[in-house]
Amino acid sequence: MNRKHLLFTLVIFGLLMAVPSVVRDTFFLRVITEAILWIGLAISWDVLAGYTGYLNFGHGAFFGIGAYVTALLINLAHWPFLLALPVGGLAAGVVAAIAGIPTLRLKGAYFAIATWALARAIQQGALVMDITGGPDGMRLPPFLHPHFFYFLMLLTVAIIFGGYWFLFEKAPFGLKVKAIREDEQGAMSLGLNPSWIKLQAFVLSAIPTGILGGIYAYWITYIDPASVLGDLVTDQAVVMAVFGGLGTLIGPTIGAVIIFAFKTCFWAYLSDYQVLYLIILGGVIAVSVVFLPNGLWGTLSEYLRARRIMKNNTSAPRATDKGVRHV
Amino acid sequence: MSEPAISDPAPSEHLLQVEGVTKTFGGLHAVFQVSFQINSGEIIGLIGPNGAGKTTLFNVISGYYAPNAGHIRFNGQDISGKPPYKLAAIGIGRTFQVVKPFAGLTVLENVVIASLVRYPKRRQAEEHAWKVLETTGLADRATVQASSLTLAGRKRLEVSKALALEPTLLLLDEVVAGLNPTEADRTIELILSLRRQGITILIVEHIMRVIMNISDRVVVLNFGQKIAEGNPRDVATNPGVIQAYLGEAPQ
Repeated sequence: MNRKHLLFTLVIFGLLMAVPSVVRDTFFLRVITEAILWIGLAISWDVLAGYTGYLNFGHGAFFGIGAYVTALLINLAHWPFLLALPVGGLAAGVVAAIAGIPTLRLKGAYFAIATWALARAIQQGALVMDITGGPDGMRLPPFLHPHFFYFLMLLTVAIIFGGYWFLFEKAPFGLKVKAIREDEQGAMSLGLNPSWIKLQAFVLSAIPTGILGGIYAYWITYIDPASVLGDLVTDQAVVMAVFGGLGTLIGPTIGAVIIFAFKTCFWAYLSDYQVLYLIILGGVIAVSVVFLPNGLWGTLSEYLRARRIMKNNTSAPRATDKGVRHV
Repeated sequence: MSEPAISDPAPSEHLLQVEGVTKTFGGLHAVFQVSFQINSGEIIGLIGPNGAGKTTLFNVISGYYAPNAGHIRFNGQDISGKPPYKLAAIGIGRTFQVVKPFAGLTVLENVVIASLVRYPKRRQAEEHAWKVLETTGLADRATVQASSLTLAGRKRLEVSKALALEPTLLLLDEVVAGLNPTEADRTIELILSLRRQGITILIVEHIMRVIMNISDRVVVLNFGQKIAEGNPRDVATNPGVIQAYLGEAPQ
């Protein structure tokens, strides 16, 4: 990322900071808050899927664990929200660390199945336990301040984005993770311990997800196993990331905004046909896997790069024509 | 087979000691009671017909397989069964016969990943990677995607990655096979220059011209067993070796 990109990011962030002073309608503020939440969920799924190559179909479990742990600490231990929130994130991280040791040995579809099953087990756990309220879910003390949640969500996702950008794009860790994605066996001969690096990536994907779950719980004030531990959390994050473009941070961000905008319009105008939404979601993933294997952003940046190279080729080689070898 | 009196008063003189190493898959002895030593600064050629167990032995030495019996000592330390990433850190670099660069990354990034073992800071790792690419002649390709390299380029990249670990022992698995004569000569030159820098080399190669020219000693495997060891000329005239390669002379 050069200076131009940094400036662009700061401008976007500044504009988003100004949104609440412009948008008076609480419904729209709520929509934008949720869009930002989905950006966070899509990028946190992508750091494992796109950068490390492990498709986690139980991502929603971390969201739910964060939500439930935060809710339990507030309701039962009477902790202040801002203290309960990081503990909720940490709990998600601990579960990832424990679950990751056996499951990260698996590859491809087997890892996807194992994480999916784990998420189902956790959902069932929340359904049968008394402490979580079973299928009735939990209510949290209401703190209905849309601006507070908007800024909290924006700041949290901005920190997640920035943290991921540093770790996965700037720091050596990102290269190590990509090496393991490309060739685990080969990476070992270069001094990388794949199990350890994958576990780190898994935990790094889980902690922010848990924190987002905690914010969601306190924001919506009501959670139940279907809403925060259901398949839909994972499925939407997956579709957003895949549609936007895996292995980048921008791709899932764009994907999250587009898919969420679509979902909101659909809900607002076609709420009688809710079942159609899932069908369309499935259709979008199928079509984008076939026609946009690199996602929207991947395809776009590939196209732009190709065009730049073409441009350079038509202008540059003239000067050094003698140096060009024709093979 | 195991002679207790290995005429060896100072075992630490050997950089690598392979002692009675056996590796079996199911009922098959891929490598059976193989022993040899490598001294610091030597180039040892490991040859044998297809399926003789050369790559398996490589995988045992570099930590990909644990031996079923026997020991591997590196600088006197028993390293048998240690994982590859630990061996990479203590100075054993290797290349793979089937080259698989990190295809989605650039050539430079490929080498930086290996440099990180010695230089944990990204900037130093990059500087070091550039130096390595200059010695292997890939510096002008540093910013292209590794997947766009030719076979010769990929083999060079494979060597570059192993070199970026700053190994004391380098295991080269068929880095010349498949190259045209000019490329092959450049690679041979590279290997000899590495030896001059003090790197000890164990090389598997099918091309006899290469093995005979650069090896100080040659170890011959057949059906997983060592059938000969010695200087290249003696080994080439050894009847057992000729028989292994060409088969039984008809009576």
